[in-house]
Amino acid sequence: MKLGVFELTDCGGCALNILFLYEKLFDILEFYEITEFHMASSSRSREKLDVAIVTGTVSTQRDLEVLKDARNRSEYLIALGTCATHGSVQGSVDDTKAAFRRIYGDIRGPTKVFDPRPVVDHVPVDFAIPGCPYNKEELFQVLMELARGVEPVAKDYPVCLECKLNEYECVLLKKGIPCLGPVTAGGCNAQCPALGLGCIGCRGPSMDANIPGMVEVLKNILPEEEISKKLRTFARW
Amino acid sequence: MIIELDEFTRVEGVGKAEIVVENGTIKEARVKILEGPRFFEVLTLGRNYWDVPDLEARICAICYLSHSIASVRAIENALKIDVPESVNKLRELGLWGEIIESHSLHLYLLALPDVLGYPDAISMVQRHGEIIKEGLAIKALGNTIREVIGGREIHGINVKPGGFGRYPSEAELENIAKHARSLVRFARRVVGIFASQEPRGAKAETAMTTSEYLWGDELIIEGERIQYEDLEEVPVSYSFAKHTYYKGSPIFVGALARVLLKGIAESGEAERLLREHREKIESRYVIYNNLAQAIELVYALEKVSKICEELLCEGIEKVIVEPEEKEGEGVGYVEAPRGVLVHHYRIEDGKIVWSNTITPTAFNQGIMELSLLEDARRMYGSLPEDSLKAKLEEVIRAFDPCISCSVHFVKM
Ligand code: SF4
Ligand code: SF4
Repeated sequence: MKLGVFELTDCGGCALNILFLYEKLFDILEFYEITEFHMASSSRSREKLDVAIVTGTVSTQRDLEVLKDARNRSEYLIALGTCATHGSVQGSVDDTKAAFRRIYGDIRGPTKVFDPRPVVDHVPVDFAIPGCPYNKEELFQVLMELARGVEPVAKDYPVCLECKLNEYECVLLKKGIPCLGPVTAGGCNAQCPALGLGCIGCRGPSMDANIPGMVEVLKNILPEEEISKKLRTFARW
Repeated sequence: MIIELDEFTRVEGVGKAEIVVENGTIKEARVKILEGPRFFEVLTLGRNYWDVPDLEARICAICYLSHSIASVRAIENALKIDVPESVNKLRELGLWGEIIESHSLHLYLLALPDVLGYPDAISMVQRHGEIIKEGLAIKALGNTIREVIGGREIHGINVKPGGFGRYPSEAELENIAKHARSLVRFARRVVGIFASQEPRGAKAETAMTTSEYLWGDELIIEGERIQYEDLEEVPVSYSFAKHTYYKGSPIFVGALARVLLKGIAESGEAERLLREHREKIESRYVIYNNLAQAIELVYALEKVSKICEELLCEGIEKVIVEPEEKEGEGVGYVEAPRGVLVHHYRIEDGKIVWSNTITPTAFNQGIMELSLLEDARRMYGSLPEDSLKAKLEEVIRAFDPCISCSVHFVKM
């Protein structure tokens, strides 16, 4: 099967994380031929793809063209990482024009700049794996399932559940540390509560997230304006 | 006529270049950073200082710890937080880990294919599988250190103002020390490979580093001690990244600058290798940033085992120091793997009210263009256009640029 990896505007982490699969990358290479991956290879192919992985947000004209091209050429498209699935940090900017002016002054820049939006807002995607960055194990599983012709299933539980399964002490209720675990999509194995730190919501909202409930609980710990900033770090809820 | 270099490959982020030819001579070279903006300076405003290092980490995945630590150091300077020696040592360990991770990624997976004539590391596996596996083993150690210190391989949130969320165990430190020692002999091999490169690019006449090896309260630039405000930043219309100058000269930051201005103090394999290749390093051609990284990789492996041993022997103070004040202004200078990184904040009532970041790739924009210009002049006409383009891209790659980090910081 042919695999392409495409990077739009992002920090490079989600593309890089593919290389961090180490030996598992060699397992993947037994089923897939990576014909395009600009961070890792200088070969540029225009072939049809079985699977395209897209990371990052659509923030410029160039991003949109790359995305559309990837969609048109691929059978199966995976939006990978919170930038691609929810917009991540740049996607939570309120007023792009004002922010742009504040940073760049009057310069127009070399390309047309859009409001940063996740890939899922622009094209239909077949599967989405959130995470800033995503859990490598999850990507590995998904690619292996696709190679075997099985449609992968999305995770639909919050981080809290993984915290409980690991028997970590609840940082929110026991230690009074702000934690977005109750409303954040699981799949990271509750990595931050494992360090005694609150989840900062890097995987974006979970299904059926009870936001008003979350805000009520956080009100006991944080001033209100900080709550909304915290919630809107990785996604526009 | 304009020779267009397509989007750079085997670098992080989206950038291109143009070489302007007039009447058969090379007139100008432009590096166009096309990555979309990510607005970090705006995003940090109004946030509680505690949350900011985790956010800033997202500027770059290859050097997220450098960003967290620069951010934490700026906050600690602003709020007068004094951390124990062992906390600083752990941070230093993390930064060496990041140098290991980033240099090995760059040297083995991104730059080595240039030297051996392949489009990428994956297609090298058949004939050069051994060295790729060695590189991956070194890289994995770098990531283990990032995980232990930073909390995750990428974008961990364990580095906090005043200390750490979780402190490493003795077993983890012992394991790191042991692995680092055993990997030195692999890293040594790659030094010889990069020493074989021909001189290319511009000469790094004005090199800049932090006042200590991995951080400091000042910057050193060719014998002078300065603050970053002493530099001149010039916006250009064709790129999302600004150019930086010191007294009219473009600045170079990165491993070559560090090794040139600081040398390698401890005696060991790295020091011996530096002596062996001193002439090439001192020629200052930016292509030897690869060589400097390779020597520094050996140095990092030696340093890591030493720091772990010191920590094991002296013990760790497991604290999170609370701030004395709620407001202030502070700068954090850190050596990211690819050079000087600056974070600067003003904090009022515990919230960020002003924020500025300058990244190494942004610093290097000017000399990157100069390198393209000089190489294009050297090679234009004697090579078919495709080979010329490929050769020029190799010089860009030697900067180890992280293009997405260069873009959002132009004007406040
Ligand atoms: S989701 Fe996070 S790690 Fe992935 S590319 Fe975006 S900012 Fe980087
Ligand atoms: S615990 Fe929360 S912030 Fe941490 S990795 Fe998981 S989703 Fe991301």
